[in-house]
Amino acid sequence: MLRIVRLLIACALLVPFTSCSQNISRKADVVIWHWMTDRQAAFEKIAAQYEKETKVSVLFETYAPSEVYRDKVRAAATGKLLPEIFSTLGDKREVSSFINAGYIADLSADMQTGWKSHLFDKPLSQNTFPEGNEWKVKPGIYGVPIDVSAIMIYYNKDLFKQAGLDPKNPPQTWEAFLEAGRKLRAAGIQPFASGFSEGWLIGVFANSYAWNMLGEQGILDTIKGTIKYTDLRWLKVYQVFADMAKHDMFASGIATMVNKDAERTFATGKAAMALNGSWGVNVYFSMNPNLNYGVMMPPKMSLGEYPMRIFGGEGSSLNVNATSPNKDKAIAFLKWMTAKEQQIQLAQETKNIPSNQEAAGGLSDILKIFAQNIKNTFESLPVSESWQVNNVINTDMQAIIIGEKTIDQAAAEIQAEKMRQSGAK
Amino acid sequence: MNKAAKEKTINLLFILPAVALFSIFSLYPIIRTVQLSFYKWDGIATTMQFVGLLQYKDIIFHNPAFWKSMANAAYVTTLALTFQNGLALLLALLVSREIRGENIYRTIFFLPPVLSGIVVGLIWKWIYDGNYGILNHFLTGVGLSHFTNFAWLAEIKTSLTAVAVVHMWKGFGYGFIILLAGLQTIPKELYEAAKVDGADSWQQFKHITVPSMIPVFTVVAILTILGSMQIFDLLYSMTQGGPAGHTHVPITRIYQFMGNGEFGYSTAMSVIFGCLLLAVSFIQIEVSRRMNK
Amino acid sequence: MNDARLKNNLVNILTHVILIVIALSCVFPVFWMFSSSLKTQEEIFTKMNLLPEHWNWANYAIAWMKADFGKYFLNSLIYTFAGVFGVVFISSLAAYGFARLEMWGKNIFFYLLISTLLIPIPGVFVPLYLLLKKMGLLDTRTGLILCYISGGLAFGIFLLRSFFEDLPKEIEEAARIDGASKFGVYWRIALPLARPALATLVIFNCLSIWNEFLLALVILQDTAKMPIQRGLMVFQGTHITDYPLLMAGLTIATIPVLIVYLLMQKHIIKGIASGALKG
Repeated sequence: MLRIVRLLIACALLVPFTSCSQNISRKADVVIWHWMTDRQAAFEKIAAQYEKETKVSVLFETYAPSEVYRDKVRAAATGKLLPEIFSTLGDKREVSSFINAGYIADLSADMQTGWKSHLFDKPLSQNTFPEGNEWKVKPGIYGVPIDVSAIMIYYNKDLFKQAGLDPKNPPQTWEAFLEAGRKLRAAGIQPFASGFSEGWLIGVFANSYAWNMLGEQGILDTIKGTIKYTDLRWLKVYQVFADMAKHDMFASGIATMVNKDAERTFATGKAAMALNGSWGVNVYFSMNPNLNYGVMMPPKMSLGEYPMRIFGGEGSSLNVNATSPNKDKAIAFLKWMTAKEQQIQLAQETKNIPSNQEAAGGLSDILKIFAQNIKNTFESLPVSESWQVNNVINTDMQAIIIGEKTIDQAAAEIQAEKMRQSGAK
Repeated sequence: MNKAAKEKTINLLFILPAVALFSIFSLYPIIRTVQLSFYKWDGIATTMQFVGLLQYKDIIFHNPAFWKSMANAAYVTTLALTFQNGLALLLALLVSREIRGENIYRTIFFLPPVLSGIVVGLIWKWIYDGNYGILNHFLTGVGLSHFTNFAWLAEIKTSLTAVAVVHMWKGFGYGFIILLAGLQTIPKELYEAAKVDGADSWQQFKHITVPSMIPVFTVVAILTILGSMQIFDLLYSMTQGGPAGHTHVPITRIYQFMGNGEFGYSTAMSVIFGCLLLAVSFIQIEVSRRMNK
Repeated sequence: MNDARLKNNLVNILTHVILIVIALSCVFPVFWMFSSSLKTQEEIFTKMNLLPEHWNWANYAIAWMKADFGKYFLNSLIYTFAGVFGVVFISSLAAYGFARLEMWGKNIFFYLLISTLLIPIPGVFVPLYLLLKKMGLLDTRTGLILCYISGGLAFGIFLLRSFFEDLPKEIEEAARIDGASKFGVYWRIALPLARPALATLVIFNCLSIWNEFLLALVILQDTAKMPIQRGLMVFQGTHITDYPLLMAGLTIATIPVLIVYLLMQKHIIKGIASGALKG
């Protein structure tokens, strides 16, 4: 008995040793890390095609969930072992940190040679660092969008009809929106669902109204500190959530609802409207192919002086490792991947909007509406609000929804955090 | 004397493999990380700025959200120490009796820990759902109409407790197993002798089971403290710290800072949090040691 | 006499009611996972039925293929087996030392070990990554296993020490007088006596190593070396989660841990048959 145990120990310890010891080998000419595991098959197909055409081997490796993917990229960066192509999955500040550390290549020169003109402007501008940006990055284009997305409001046509609303004319003003909510509620239907537990999505909605109320200059001035978060126009932004709460428009439990749950709620007809991204088309199809819906812009505030804007632009973008010896091969591949034919193919297989404008012709009706509204997405700004302030905004909007705080209390708290952060700088 | 000293040195061989492995793969990385808590670093940049104790000062004096998250974790831990461990002990004792189907019960009670967190999160969100949840269905059924539409996870009053219940449900199996194993090491003769003396089962429990189990209770208690103070996965999948930040715990706050380019700051948070856990656990160990004597 | 029997019966019924209610709550999620694994995605979302309309056993085959389980399963077995063995052997050795033997710096070492159990540092993988790179252990199975073993030591030592301390010393002393070496006493006497605790440790470590994925995904670069958790990720897309296949995959991934538990719990319970706690 004892002997057997000893033998087992020996085996257990030996197995790993026999198969390790090889160094980190080059598995392909171009290795790409991505976080969308659901696209692995489509990526592999593209890679195989490319290898057939050019003899350059490309390997896509996808890792989920995105938090783990981010950790992997960070660890690889500190260890100087990043693959040829990757995405940081972070905000502009984080990307700037990668660039300043020398991990991400400047693609401006390659972009000038005709590559740029095929791509949607907005996602490209999100990968661009302009002159005088607050992160002190050398001006240039540092990433390639491989698809685009936008966030709008989906509405269920059947439920609209059931509540006596016109499914062809969704509400366009704030008052009509609230009235639609009232009618839906009266018909026993939950009016509105979204993943408001995820801070960014509640922030997206608030931001749409910030653009509507303050415009680009107003937002820039707020970041600079010359307009306060207690300004009347900002109060109107918070009012959005208070109004909707007052009219009982939110689906039950929206303050802790993740977007996947919100998508399920909408797809199964348990809510009539949903703030969601263009990827929702694919998601809803997988859950309930018979869902009959349309999309609309968030309705404008009557006092809003500026055009309504939505969150969107890059769906996912890729960066090229500046230190890789195969940098040029990587860039060549990205050029090929964002060319019209490949973009059409990828868009079809992943039911997404391609980043190449010329490939956007064959989209479904709903996706076409999203594609047309890419031009209405937020402008990319050379400065950004600190994440702590944004975090307080998102949290306090949840607090307004659940009736914990009034808009004045929220405004005071947000401004206090703003002061604290500008003091810390 | 010399022999004793030699003995003491040779005995070190027993702990040598553990100490060696542990020093390299656990202690060294931890020390390196603690070092980072004195620097302002975003986790990526090639340079970092030494700031001394500045980040500690900020956490201690200017980060009330962090301390609130600590209180939340303490609340969950208090619940777990009492209810989760109470349940674990009750079940371990019940299953130790000669009852029908004890084998099946033993297997079943360890299913929650084995079960994937994904499944647990999905099921319990479905139970708690305001509109379509089983819980409200049941409560309405027994006449508590007050609860129709009550979203348990999204209400300030109930969200943290609701998550704590799931946490305890998922975790009692661990305590159950350890206590079960602990019960086996009590010599049977003790009980037989007590029975001869005419002690009933409560007296046996009080005078034999409890005293012999104190070291095991300590292990279970410390494990519970660690598991509950560091609650993360379940909470993250159920509320993400919401509604409006009311279910944040230290680990979610630490991740929040780490994910926003405050790597150094987040390590300082970890160190403060860790030191508090350390203090609590050592007090616990010391108390039980005294009780054991 | 009759009264006592009645009381006994009532106690028994009450016991069973408590046990059955809790047992049901534990079994239901497993049943749900299994039932969902046989449904279609649409069915999971649009219908609330407990049993699938059609039992799509093919989901299991598809999940196995799509997740590349054939590739990852063996890796997971290796990591879990080697990791658990390492933890149990090394920590029992050390725990025995801490519980029974006199040595230099005993308390310092012990408290240092326990301290790391208590300091959770989410960012610790960054220095660990750099360390493994320096040692040439990055992207190796050995590196990952050593990390797993090291990670399990503190808890293992803590748990086992309290069990060793609880064991009656007399048997060990008798063996020492009979001329057994210290290691012999540990191996032949202390270990078998601590069997319930060892079995507990095996179960806990199996569970944690089998389910671990952050370290594995960060440390390993070559997907051919990755564990089963990597396969499960295929079903959890950023936007689309394929629930039936995910549930099928999770069911497959749960089975080995359950088997280990079933095998080990017998050891936890050995000796109970004679009724240690008769009421």
